[in-house]
Amino acid sequence: MKKRILIVDDSESIREVLSFTLENAGYDVLAGVDGEDAQKYLNGEPIALVITDLHMPNKDGIGFIKDVRAHEDYKRVPILFLTTESQTAKKMEAKSAGATGWIVKPFVPQKLLAAINKVVR
Amino acid sequence: MDQFKQKFKEEATDLINDLEEALLLLEQNPNDKDIVERVFRAMHSLKGGGAMFGFDHVSEFTHHLETIYDLVREDKFLVSADLLTITLESVDHIKDLLFSDEITKEIENNHSVLITKLSTLATNDVGKAATPIENQDNTASTQKSFYVFFKPNPDVFENGTNPLYLLDELCELGESRIISHSENIPLLDDLKESNSYLYWEVIIVTDQELNAIGDVFLFVEDDCELEITQVAEGNLLADEKVIRYLADIEKESKVVDIQKLEREISKNKENKTEQGSKESTGTDTSVISSIRVASDKIDTLMNLVSELVTTQARLSLFTEQQEDAELDAIGENIQKLSRQLRDNAFSISLIPLQSIITRFQRLVRDLSNGLGKKINFKTEGTETELDKTIIENLTDPILHIIRTSIDHGIEDVQTRINSGKPEEGTILLRSFYSGTNVFIQIIDDGKGLDHEKIRQKAIEKNLISESTQLSKKEVFDLIFMAGFSTAKEVTDVSGRGVGMDVVKRKISAIRGDVEVDSEPGEGTTITIKLPLTLSIIDGLLVRVGVTDFIVPLSAVQKIYAVNKSEIIDNYTHTVVLDEKQTPFHNMREFFTIDKEMPDTVQVLVVTYEEQSVGIVVDYVVGEYQAVIKPLGKHYKDQEFISGATILGDGSVALVLDTNKIIKQSAEEV
Repeated sequence: MKKRILIVDDSESIREVLSFTLENAGYDVLAGVDGEDAQKYLNGEPIALVITDLHMPNKDGIGFIKDVRAHEDYKRVPILFLTTESQTAKKMEAKSAGATGWIVKPFVPQKLLAAINKVVR
Repeated sequence: MDQFKQKFKEEATDLINDLEEALLLLEQNPNDKDIVERVFRAMHSLKGGGAMFGFDHVSEFTHHLETIYDLVREDKFLVSADLLTITLESVDHIKDLLFSDEITKEIENNHSVLITKLSTLATNDVGKAATPIENQDNTASTQKSFYVFFKPNPDVFENGTNPLYLLDELCELGESRIISHSENIPLLDDLKESNSYLYWEVIIVTDQELNAIGDVFLFVEDDCELEITQVAEGNLLADEKVIRYLADIEKESKVVDIQKLEREISKNKENKTEQGSKESTGTDTSVISSIRVASDKIDTLMNLVSELVTTQARLSLFTEQQEDAELDAIGENIQKLSRQLRDNAFSISLIPLQSIITRFQRLVRDLSNGLGKKINFKTEGTETELDKTIIENLTDPILHIIRTSIDHGIEDVQTRINSGKPEEGTILLRSFYSGTNVFIQIIDDGKGLDHEKIRQKAIEKNLISESTQLSKKEVFDLIFMAGFSTAKEVTDVSGRGVGMDVVKRKISAIRGDVEVDSEPGEGTTITIKLPLTLSIIDGLLVRVGVTDFIVPLSAVQKIYAVNKSEIIDNYTHTVVLDEKQTPFHNMREFFTIDKEMPDTVQVLVVTYEEQSVGIVVDYVVGEYQAVIKPLGKHYKDQEFISGATILGDGSVALVLDTNKIIKQSAEEV
């Protein structure tokens, strides 16, 4: 079975770029527009990886990372967050919220896949 | 500057048109280097001009395209349907960038999506194509050996990290030796199953820098003890002493002593031999399995072989007359060799049907989209090979048949659903060998042909009269008559005056035959029967009176000797052969040859429309390799003659098309 990756981002073009790259790499992709919207995917179905943006309306990335970690089925699921090079403080905050790693924006497909490769096999 | 911009836009329009045209050509000939070059040139000009006249978007974007096609040029990237689709999308996007009054949000989105698609394509495929090149680099002496100590914190699993993946990633960088340390695992009672108790030491040999190794542990830097040191240039793991040392360490659960390791290395440095030279052997064994040859060279070869076969026939005749045993032997040898040479030269000029299939696929794709029909185009047996002259002349007729099939055959989605058929129509192109013929069938599961409608139409067009009684097959054959079109209205797609009669004529021109079969509501099958080759056939030399004829050997099933009394004054025109009533056609009558008939004549039994039919000749001279030459214009309307051949004594024999003879002869009776 294909591994499923949940992506959460409020920007449509970023979602599209992620979906395209991930599907091309052989993953199934679930997409949520923000932390609130993505809750619907935390329904017990297996998820191999979560990729989330940090700045989002309704519920932001930090909040969503905490939700995932608090969920019995997903507390060990790797979580990568999208960040820019300068956001060091934010990086620490996300890591202590339970994130596994990060992806620096802007990214090219091979960077994205390399980051995923560190946490999912 | 603005007027220059305008000028560039005009120029860019031309470039884009050229680019689109070249891309469509490339879809049909993905391996054609000239077309790739043309695509690349157009892109390059767009990029250069874009940067010059302030269309930075265009320039930057085209650069991505250019990068990929540069790889295509260098054979590092294969032209795929994906690539072409994305490229065509990209060309549309370049048009947007150039000619939109403002760059809208939508265009911007499209921009980044397309760039990602392009770079994804590039990385995916280049990875594959470039692997061997990278491997070669590895054998160079840029390798270094690193020592890595990695001890994750016990709670490393908490945030979804799996240390094993990191070790896997590390090992992918090069050759490695991992020593795992399990001495910290507590007794079972004290063991917390969600904790990590292991740590690892790794010797890794790679051409990467220290940074790359650090990058592996990027996410866990703060959650582990990590030490990365370069211990040596070159491959430490090629050193037996080091291997032994590491094995000992593992056995005794000791930690690697780097300083001791370094001492081992320096001791060995002097007797290090040069590496890499041995790897270079065995790479030069590439064998050329095929070459490209200009087609006119093959034409010349075929012509020469034809001449040789004709000359050989003369030699055979001559040796027969000389009654010289030695000459006989030589003659027979030459005959054998020329036959082998002929077969060999034939096989060279054969190309698989696959080579023209893409054009049909494109046609189905474009046309079905245009008509809002769903059509699945399937192929079977496209590896079937045909003479290249036949293939060249086959494309247009098949295109027309498929076009007709899509336009008139396959119904629209709603009609299909209503009649309980799958929503998606199917057109199957099937090809197979049978004897010395190749069959190509185009089978659709559309609405089929309507007998009555065809009959009415033919009456309307004065092709037949009201009273004409026709079999099912004869009715279907009407659609191949000139000036016949069943579609009520002339549509955009087919029925523009170019009818099935043209298909028939074109296929006849390559000595083929076309037949149609159909069940109303079930679909239509069009079968094209083609000879394997056009230029030389195995024939049967027969004689009627003093005239010689060639009948294609492939057409003849059996030959019977029959007393002339059974033929002469036989008003039923049938003769009993093997207890079967067989209709016959007397060539003596057909060609109005007057000379007295011999007492015993011979009947060649051939298959005509799935029946056995006899052809009466005086006698069979023997097998003959006939080089078929076209006849002059005076004979061009004589359908029953395929051509002529030169016999060994220099005289000319006509090559007969038995099907056409029987048809014509039957009509005369």
